[in-house]
Amino acid sequence: MQDVIPVTARANPASTARIASHPIHPMLVPFPIVCFVGTLVTDVAYWKTAEMMWADFSAWLLFAGLVMGVLAAVAGLVDFLSNRLIRALAPAWLHLAGNAVVLVLAFFNALVHSRDAWTSVVPAGLVLSALTVILMLFTGWMGWAMVYRHRVGVGNDA
Amino acid sequence: MRRTPDSPRRSICSVAGLAAMLCLTACKESAPDPKTQIGAKPDLPAQQQYLLPPMHVASVVGWKSGETPTVANGLQIKALVSRLQHPRSLYVLPNGDILVVESKAPGTEPIKRPKDFIMKWVESWATSGGDTGESNRITLLRDADGDGVAELKSVFLDHLNSPFGVALVGNDLYVANTDAIVRYPYNPGDTKITAPGTTLTLLPGGPIDHHWTKSLVASEDGSLLYVGVGSNSNITENGIEAEKDRAAIWEVDRATGRWRIFASGLRNPNGLSWEPQTHALWAVINERDELGPNLVPDYLTSVKDGAFYGWPYSYYGQNVDPRVQPQRPDLVAKAIAPDYALSSHVAPLGLVFYTGTNLPASYRGGAFVGEHGSWNRPELNGYKVVFVPFANGRPNGPAQDVVTGFLNPDEKSRGRPVGLAVDKSGNLLIADDVGNTVWRVSPAGR
Repeated sequence: MQDVIPVTARANPASTARIASHPIHPMLVPFPIVCFVGTLVTDVAYWKTAEMMWADFSAWLLFAGLVMGVLAAVAGLVDFLSNRLIRALAPAWLHLAGNAVVLVLAFFNALVHSRDAWTSVVPAGLVLSALTVILMLFTGWMGWAMVYRHRVGVGNDA
Repeated sequence: MRRTPDSPRRSICSVAGLAAMLCLTACKESAPDPKTQIGAKPDLPAQQQYLLPPMHVASVVGWKSGETPTVANGLQIKALVSRLQHPRSLYVLPNGDILVVESKAPGTEPIKRPKDFIMKWVESWATSGGDTGESNRITLLRDADGDGVAELKSVFLDHLNSPFGVALVGNDLYVANTDAIVRYPYNPGDTKITAPGTTLTLLPGGPIDHHWTKSLVASEDGSLLYVGVGSNSNITENGIEAEKDRAAIWEVDRATGRWRIFASGLRNPNGLSWEPQTHALWAVINERDELGPNLVPDYLTSVKDGAFYGWPYSYYGQNVDPRVQPQRPDLVAKAIAPDYALSSHVAPLGLVFYTGTNLPASYRGGAFVGEHGSWNRPELNGYKVVFVPFANGRPNGPAQDVVTGFLNPDEKSRGRPVGLAVDKSGNLLIADDVGNTVWRVSPAGR
């Protein structure tokens, strides 16, 4: 299929944190997303079984999700701060602010999960895990809008 | 939490309360005086659940030359021996020789959660008392002339597995390693045992082995042994199956090694001792952490045959712990309250009833308790040896500080008291596992 963009159109907003023109941020974001969704799943499993193994999984998933989430945030922030075209996009601001809240929620959730036994999950941990996932649906939507509608980080020479 | 009636203080308190709820800092709240948590009916404040539990461990400075603990009026204190390797408990043989059990944690507890990394790191501050050498052995001390200086120091038994309790019945010397009670032949005057030990009964050991000290005492007729087996977690966070046969005092038949659970629901029982008047079994128990700086008070109690003292489901009778699931209302209904609270997080590990005549008369018949000291509250508690007076076989009056000064004025730890014993002359002996010293408390001026 032919490219429908006129040659006179503005260039796509470029990613700054990239390796061989591949943006780093989208390579990292699956890790925190999967970890925090996994936390909700293992929290529900613990809530239903009281089997400590699931609560231990949740604690590790939160820990890994936070580490990878901070790395993804750094790459994303470099892109955001380095490119005026990205900062001009409304979804970019919502994506940034929403995911900052996601990391704060996950951090407090990790502290709740450091309690011992039942109250490390039920009810506060479970509620925080669910809020994190709900918020990620929104911030993920904003991220997809940036890539699939506004072509952030997409090459110009397709 | 107690609130003061005047409004400026109250607003400060509510801010403190809010901070405590958010727990962004280990804030100092207006806590009940630890003294209100000593005795038969301790104040039990509302439970707190933390985002960050207060962790305040006295970092180690050790004893400088000439420094000693401080003793109550009428007493004096002197190091019987120093430069030991983590001395945890003491046993006095009939000929007056003193056995010092030098012991280290098994170190096999797995990292199950990110939290465990942090906890191990915090605990390492408190136990780094220069004890890098060989431990897990029993050292014999002999002070034949009774001048308070041991002329003879001999490695009595070596290569043990995190030993703690010792009991002698006739010529059979029992050592409670963390995973087994082992019997050795002993003859009066021996300064070293080379014969191999014989396992009498296996005890719950690793790999988790969260509370690993196995306290031991023989019945007065010598037919039975009683051994304290601590829980495998703070509050079942390693799973209830890890707690099988733990948080209990076992009764072991000395002839066959057969055992039964004598009493249960005792989170970490130590200092098993016979009360001299009623001949009842008593122990000191370390209660659970992370419910607040003033929960749950550790305690001294008589231990009744078949009784259940609550752990993990409840404390001080029917105060249910919400962290344990599934809950067991049937067991909570059975739980009995202990006899005497020692206040929260003091970590009592040593207990001895004073039956000697050498110390002032006020100590006769009462109990000395070695309090290793707190980590789970902003203001340090314990780090001393206290005396609980007894009358008619029951505690009678508030605990009195007898040996203090294990903390220096900057709240750094010079030492920490653990096991206690009374020597043949009636002096009190204290194992100090951070100062790596055995202290001898005798009457002043003698």
